[in-house]
Amino acid sequence: MKKGLMTLFITALALVATWSVAGDDKEIKIKTSAVCEMCKERIERNLSYEKGVKEATLDVKTKVVTIKYNPKKTDVAKLKANISKTGYDADDVVADETGYKKLPGCCKKDSPMHHDH
Amino acid sequence: MCLSASAAFGQVVRGRVTEQLNNKLTPLNGATLQWAGTSTGAVTDSTGNFTVPKPENSNKLIISYIGYRTDTISVGSTEQFLNITMRQEATLQEVTVSGGSTTIDQINPIHTEVLTTRTLAKAACCNLSETFETNASVSVSYADAVTGAKQIQFLGLGGQYVQTNVENIPTIRGLGTTFGLNFVPGTWITSIDVGKGAGSVVNGYEGMTGALNVELQKPDFRAETQKSQWLLNGYVNSFGRVEGNVNFSRALNEKWSVGALGHVSALRTKIDQNGDNFMDLPMYRQYNGINRWKYTSERWMAQFGVKALYEDRTGGQLTAQNGNPLYQFTNETKRIEAFSKLARLFPDKPYKGLGLIISALNHDQKAVFGFKPYAGVQRSVYANLIYQTIIDNTNHTLKAGASYLLDNYNEQFGNTPLPTNRTESVAGAFAEYAYTASERLAIVLGNRVDYHNLFGWQWTPRMHAKYHIHEMLTLRFSVGRGWRVPNLLAENFGYLVSSRSVIFRDKLQPEVSWNIGGSLTYEFLLLGKKASFITDYYRTDFRNQLIVDLEHPQQINFYNLSGRSYANSFQAELNYVPIKRMEVKAAYRLFDVRQSMGAPLGESVLLEKMMISRDRMLVNAGYALPYDKWKFDATLQWNGPKRIPYMAPGYVHDSYRTMPLSVTPGFYNLNAQVSRGFKSGWEVYLGGENLTGFRQTNPIMSAANPFGPNFDAASHVWGPVTGSVVYLGFRFKPQT
Repeated sequence: MKKGLMTLFITALALVATWSVAGDDKEIKIKTSAVCEMCKERIERNLSYEKGVKEATLDVKTKVVTIKYNPKKTDVAKLKANISKTGYDADDVVADETGYKKLPGCCKKDSPMHHDH
Repeated sequence: MCLSASAAFGQVVRGRVTEQLNNKLTPLNGATLQWAGTSTGAVTDSTGNFTVPKPENSNKLIISYIGYRTDTISVGSTEQFLNITMRQEATLQEVTVSGGSTTIDQINPIHTEVLTTRTLAKAACCNLSETFETNASVSVSYADAVTGAKQIQFLGLGGQYVQTNVENIPTIRGLGTTFGLNFVPGTWITSIDVGKGAGSVVNGYEGMTGALNVELQKPDFRAETQKSQWLLNGYVNSFGRVEGNVNFSRALNEKWSVGALGHVSALRTKIDQNGDNFMDLPMYRQYNGINRWKYTSERWMAQFGVKALYEDRTGGQLTAQNGNPLYQFTNETKRIEAFSKLARLFPDKPYKGLGLIISALNHDQKAVFGFKPYAGVQRSVYANLIYQTIIDNTNHTLKAGASYLLDNYNEQFGNTPLPTNRTESVAGAFAEYAYTASERLAIVLGNRVDYHNLFGWQWTPRMHAKYHIHEMLTLRFSVGRGWRVPNLLAENFGYLVSSRSVIFRDKLQPEVSWNIGGSLTYEFLLLGKKASFITDYYRTDFRNQLIVDLEHPQQINFYNLSGRSYANSFQAELNYVPIKRMEVKAAYRLFDVRQSMGAPLGESVLLEKMMISRDRMLVNAGYALPYDKWKFDATLQWNGPKRIPYMAPGYVHDSYRTMPLSVTPGFYNLNAQVSRGFKSGWEVYLGGENLTGFRQTNPIMSAANPFGPNFDAASHVWGPVTGSVVYLGFRFKPQT
């Protein structure tokens, strides 16, 4: 009983670890309209909760988000749609209006308050 | 957080934002600065420098950077160049790191482990007594098999020797020692600092082995959102324990904010897994709440609030047996506390400060052990005034102040007032000088003197030093004296669930000890991945101690130490990040705790202290997906054998020198938890405790005859009384 439970747990942990570093993931870079640390956090968080996404990292300077994903579970169109819904442009897909409106004033791409950095 | 750099302002403020990395100041690129209540701000460049226009309607500059503690500074003059050093944020939930490893406060000369909300969420249940499950330094166990009271072990000694503060106010002390750990709900806590060895003199003299400081949720003004903040939590386990917590905070305007913390929990099921006709856990219910207010202005900060608690518990026999009446344990606690913290800030001299803490409490407790009643009332007032400044430059800082403590204890056991009933009035003064000799060496010298109305003058000197041997290797050393006045019954409540007669052999004396020790922290790369190795050794040497003697099977003897008493504690801990977002910790701890006993028979024999596992091992592994979509965590512990009193039937205790010694077996304990986060702000967790299912079969001596001479529900409890338990819970934090 004791050993069984422990073996089970260790196996489960090992499985999760293997799954998370599985090799058949794809990677894509998408240019967004993110302007600050707060935008970075919003985009990364929403992508992380999208089905099939393993990891998303946005570089504020270049506005490019690098997404590691499982091509069997999602595709680039869905990823772009996710970013758009969050309120940001994703390459050719423009920001969804409802999502954009929800952004704090300062995160908006055409905000007059912005200066480039 | 977004910013503008409109040129419509006349004045500009310049400065530089850095972080302390390997003891060097490294510029932070992309940190944001914003004037509170405005949309004016700036971002630092690659050298950490910034220039920000100063609006007329704000002088509070908020500096933030993801993963770092947001800081607010008041800017008086625009001529001054601001040097800002950010501290790594320990409590930020969104950061995608797994919090399995021990976080050591890098800056503090006192060896201090920081438990963050992430660490706390690893063990989802439920209050302060259960938050140390993944920590190697603090262990918590049930004090007995009936009352549900929990006992901390730290550096080989009981929780009463650790100064336990809530937001720097001494809280778990006096009569609150017994159940106090159950009175701080886990979801209220934002962080816990575990300081090892002699602590700072600023918070008092009672820390003899270390200091715990618990920070609770505070209402805070947030520039970007003035909406109400909520956190809801619910929990249920397979024994039938249910808990609900609500955290609420709201900014009323730029200066005032209000917060409320609420907790309800109960266990209404009678559990008897070992079939001894005694409930393994007491049935209980608890209502607990805090209402607090915060005021912040340029020159003043004030916090005040009230805490109120009601708890009752019922344990003991399920049914009356053998024609005896029903043996029941009941306890009811009513506690009310008020606190206020006032700080005077000097905007143009950020190193200067004046703070005043005042708190008052009334603790009212009534209990019944079988037919024997207990009643205890504690009334306390505490005040601490602290002034902080520099001498010449910031390499020499000084904290000095004065404190006053009033404690009134009134206890009755079996309708007789205790000989230890008393009023304590302690006035003290302290000074702590911190010297930063170089980037490598920091020394803190602390001194305090207190005058106690019953025990006279007491001197509490303390010293701490931190030395960076090289960038990755840090040595810490501390030495200091501590003292406290013990509370015999509150600290040994569980032993009253027995037929032992309570004998006070000596007049009450303060306990006095010296603690000396140090630690070595080494950070390195193992196979290209981050790792750290922490090892520490501390020794507590008592000059006087209250000896709690259970060697006689029918007596509990309290007397003052004559001879030697010491606790040696050694710990080694390895933390490793084998793959991204996975953390593994392995720790080993060794205790060597001995005290001279034998006064009841006129002897003095140095004996191994009871109920202390000489060896303990802990392995913890955690893994998280980005933004905590999934989290996995497991802890395996091994608790080595301990000595317990010899209580074979017919044993006559007539010598300490030749008495037989009983030793328990060691046992394993496995806890595991999985949690899933959702985009909407929901988090659901499922976990199990004591998954190996090990439990002690006969924790209660003479359970069939609780009114007989050999009944004892505490001194043979060395392991889990209940088997595995599974729990399910949720947290909900609406997203903004």
